Amino acid sequence: MSPSQIIHKVGAWLDHRLGLSGPLIEAAQHPVPRSSASWWYVFGSATFAVMVLQFLTGLCLATVYAPSADRAWQSLIYLNYDQPLGWFIRALHGWGSNFMVGLVCIHMAQVFLFGAHKYPRELTWLAGVVLLLATLGMAFTGQVLRFDQDAYWGLGIGAAIAGRTPFIGGRIVKMILGGPIIAGETLSRFFTLHVFVIPGLLISFVGLHLFLVLRLGINEWPMPGRIVRRETYLAEYHRMVSTDGEPFFPYAAQKDLVFIGLIIAALIVTAAVMGPIGPNGEPDPAIIQTVPRPDFFFLWLFSAFALLPPWTETFLMLTGPVVAIGLLFAIPFISGTGEKSYRRRPFSVMILVLVFMTIGILIYLGTYSPWSPHMEAWSGAPTPVEYVKGRTPLELQGAILIQAKQCRNCHSLGGQGGMRGPALDETATRLTPDQIVRQIVQGGGNMPAYGKNLSPAEVNAIVAFLATMHPAHQPPAHNAARPALARVDQR
Amino acid sequence: MFQHPAARAIHDERMNMSETASPSRNPAAPPAQPTSRRVFLLRLGILLNAIAAAIFAVPVLGYLASPMRKFAWLSWISLGPLEHFPEHQTRLATYRNPYTKPWDGMTANIPCWVRREAGDTFMVFAINCTHLGCPVRWFQESGLFMCPCHGGVFYSDGKRASGPPPRGLYQYRHKVENGRLWIKAGELPTLGEPLA
Amino acid sequence: MIVRRRAAVAAVFALSLLAGCDRLPGKPKESQRPLSPAQVKSFDVLYTQNCAGCHGAAGNFGAATELANPAYQALVDDATLSRIIRQGVPATAMPSFAQSAGGYLTDAQIAILIDGMRARWKSGPPLKDAPPYAAAPGDPAQGAQVFARSCASCHGPDGKGGARAPGSIVDRSYLMLVSDQALRTLVIAGRRDLGHPDWRQYPPGQPLTAQQVADVVAWLAAKRPRFAPGTWQSVSTK
Repeated sequence: MSPSQIIHKVGAWLDHRLGLSGPLIEAAQHPVPRSSASWWYVFGSATFAVMVLQFLTGLCLATVYAPSADRAWQSLIYLNYDQPLGWFIRALHGWGSNFMVGLVCIHMAQVFLFGAHKYPRELTWLAGVVLLLATLGMAFTGQVLRFDQDAYWGLGIGAAIAGRTPFIGGRIVKMILGGPIIAGETLSRFFTLHVFVIPGLLISFVGLHLFLVLRLGINEWPMPGRIVRRETYLAEYHRMVSTDGEPFFPYAAQKDLVFIGLIIAALIVTAAVMGPIGPNGEPDPAIIQTVPRPDFFFLWLFSAFALLPPWTETFLMLTGPVVAIGLLFAIPFISGTGEKSYRRRPFSVMILVLVFMTIGILIYLGTYSPWSPHMEAWSGAPTPVEYVKGRTPLELQGAILIQAKQCRNCHSLGGQGGMRGPALDETATRLTPDQIVRQIVQGGGNMPAYGKNLSPAEVNAIVAFLATMHPAHQPPAHNAARPALARVDQR
Repeated sequence: MFQHPAARAIHDERMNMSETASPSRNPAAPPAQPTSRRVFLLRLGILLNAIAAAIFAVPVLGYLASPMRKFAWLSWISLGPLEHFPEHQTRLATYRNPYTKPWDGMTANIPCWVRREAGDTFMVFAINCTHLGCPVRWFQESGLFMCPCHGGVFYSDGKRASGPPPRGLYQYRHKVENGRLWIKAGELPTLGEPLA
Repeated sequence: MIVRRRAAVAAVFALSLLAGCDRLPGKPKESQRPLSPAQVKSFDVLYTQNCAGCHGAAGNFGAATELANPAYQALVDDATLSRIIRQGVPATAMPSFAQSAGGYLTDAQIAILIDGMRARWKSGPPLKDAPPYAAAPGDPAQGAQVFARSCASCHGPDGKGGARAPGSIVDRSYLMLVSDQALRTLVIAGRRDLGHPDWRQYPPGQPLTAQQVADVVAWLAAKRPRFAPGTWQSVSTK
C-alpha cells in the first residue's frame, strides 16, 4: 500500500467511529457573506494563531523554568545563556505576548468599527471582552513569571493599588501575594494563574467565541444605511449568504492563512532580531538601585498614575477598571441595533479614536517617563563643558553643587538629566537671582524645599552659577524695581 | 463553487432561529407526574450534589484565602547593634522577614531605611513609596528620599516633600534594647495596612 | 521524487536556520548578563555612573577637580584617594561613596576606580621637587607676597578677578565651600583643562616652593569667615 492509501484507511477507520468529518466539513464550509471575505477580517484568526504559538512556546519554557522564588531568576538566566535555543523560545514567547495583545486590540477595534457587536452577536462580543481581559491577564502574570526586579516591583505596584481599597485593602493585598510579603507563594500563585487558570479560561472562551461565530455567521461588510433590526436581521443575513455567500473554506480562509503566515514570519524575525525580553536584575528587594518599569502593555497605566491629580487617584484606581470593563460589557446593550457602518457612527468612531490616542500618548510618555527623577544623573551626567569653561570659582562651586545636591536628578543641563523640573539651561532668562533663591529655599510647584539642606554659601554658589544660564543674545531676567529700591535705601 | 449540501441544509435550518425557541426544540417539557420516583430521585441527586459541593468548597476556598485570615504577621526583629547607625545619618538595613519559607530565597530579605537622629532617637522607614510601593532611595547630600517611579520625594524625617504620594513614608515601630535596634516587621506596608 | 527533494531542501534549510541561530542578532551576549550593582567591575561603567557628573566625562572639563591631570595623579597617593572616595570630604560637595559610609560602592569597586584612574591618567615620570600633598599651614603675611608675585597677574591685585581669570578667589562663599586641602591641591597640581598653571609653570622658571604654597593657601584661608560650628549666618557675596 502507498502511504496515501494508509492514511486514507486510518482516516476512514477513525471517522467510522468518531463521525466528525461531517460536522468538521460543515464548519469549514459554512457560508460567509462574499463581502466579509476581506483583508479586514483576518485579525481574529491571527490572534488565535499567535495564541496557539504561545501555548507551544510556553509549554517549552515550562520544561525548564523553575516556578520557585529562589530559583526562577536563575532558570531564566539559564534559558537565556545556557539552554540551547532557550533564548529564542523566550524571545518568541515574550514577543508573542506583545503580538497577541496588539492583535487583540486591532481585532476589537475592527469589530467595533464594523458594528459586529450588534444583534445577534452580542454574546460573541461579551466572550471577546473576556478574552481581552484574559489576554491582558496573561500579559501581567507573564511579566511576573519573568521574575526580575521589574516583576518584583510590578507586584509591589499591584499590591499598593489593592491596598488602597477601603477597609479590606490589607487583606486583599495578602490574598494577592499569598502572604504578608512578595515571596515564594506570590510567584506560585501567579504561576498557577498563568499556566492553569487563565489558559483554561482562554481555551473555553475561545471555544465559545468560535462556536458563536459559526452559529451566527460572520458579520457582513457594513453598508451605510443598512439598519440592524431585531425583527428582520436574521432573515436578511440568511438571504445574503444564500444569494451572495461563499463557503468559508477556502474563500475567506485563504486570506486568513496568508495573514497568519505573515504574522508568524514577522514574529520569528522580531524574536530573532530583538532577542528575549529581560530578565533584568535579580529580584532582590535589598538592591534598591533599580528603576522599575512595566512592560509596554501596562505602560499607559503607569503613566496615568503619574499624571492623575493625586486626590483623584485612589478613587480612579479602584473604580476605573470596574467602570471600563463594565462599559466594554455594556457596549452591545447600549448600541445593539441600528447602523453598523462606521460611516454613520461618528460618535463611536470618535470614542475609539480617543481611547486609542489616549492610550498611545500615555504609552509614549511612559517610554521616557518625564515625571521620574533620573536617579544616576547627579553623579553620572557631566556638567556640559561649555558651562564649565570661563566660569568664576564661585560659579564652578555652584555647578558642583547642582550635581552633588541631586538637582540634576530632576533638572536637565544640556539635555541630560531628569525632566521632572524645568531644564536649567536658560534659568536666568526666567528668574532673577532673588527668585532663584526663593525657589531653592522654599521649593514649591512640585519642588522640595532645600532650605534646611543648603548653607547660605551653597545657595550663593548655586545662584551665581544659575545666573550665568542664559544665551549670549538674551539678557538675564532682572528686577525692574531694584534700582529704585536701592535709591530708597540710600536716602 | 463546491459546497457540501449537508452544510448548506444545516445552516439554512439554523438561520431559522428566533428570539423565542420553538417548543419542539425544548426537550424539558413539564413532567406529567411531578411526584413520580424519577423526579424525586433527580431532585435528591441535585440536592446531594449541592451539599457535597458546599462541603467541598469550604476547605478549598479556605485553603486559597488563608492569607486573608487575621494573623499576627508582625514580630520584633533586630536590625543589629546601634554602632551600625551613625548619628544624624540614614542607612540602609536589611532584615530577614520573620514570616518566611525556605524557597523564598532573596525575596525575604527586606530592606529599610534607618535614621538615627541622636542617641536612642531613631526613625525606621519602609523602603516602599507610599504612592505605589516602588523603592525609595536616600540621597544623603540633599537629604531627600526619591522614588524612581512617579517622582515622589520625601524629606529626611519621612514627610512628603513633593510628587503624588498621599502621605509620608511608612514607619516601623521600633525600640532600643540591649544595645540593639529592634523593629516590628513582617508585612509589606500599604495604605490599607501601614505597619503602625 | 519531487516531494522527496522538496522535503530534503526544507530539512537542509531548517538545519541551516538552527545552525545560524548562534549568530542571530537577538541572541543575548555574555556581556549582557545582568549584574547586581555590587558585581559591576568595569572601570568605565563605575566612573561614568559615579564620578563623571562632577569630574567630567573623561576626567577633565568637569566642575570639580581634574582627575585626568597627571600632576594631580602624581600628587595624591592611593591611601588618600581611597579615603576621599570612601568617606568623601566633609564640609565640601565631595560625597562618601563607600557602603560603610552610606554610599553604594564596595571596597573592591573603589579599588577598581583608583587603579583605573592611575592606569589612564598617571602618565610620565613621577614629579620632581613637587611640594608634598599635605603640609602644615603657612604664614598668611608671607602668602600675600607670594600671591602678589605669582597669582595677582591673573587673579587681580586683591584676588577679586582679572581679565584672564574672571571671578573672585577671595569670595567668602567660595572659600566656605572649599577646603584648605582643595586650595593647596589646586595651587600645586593646577587645572590643565581650564588653563590654571601648576606650581612650577607661573611665572615661568620660578616654581613655587613648598613653603610658598603653604603660605599662599594660608593667606586665602585667612579670608574665610569663621562661624561657630553649626550656626549659619548670612554671607554676602559682595
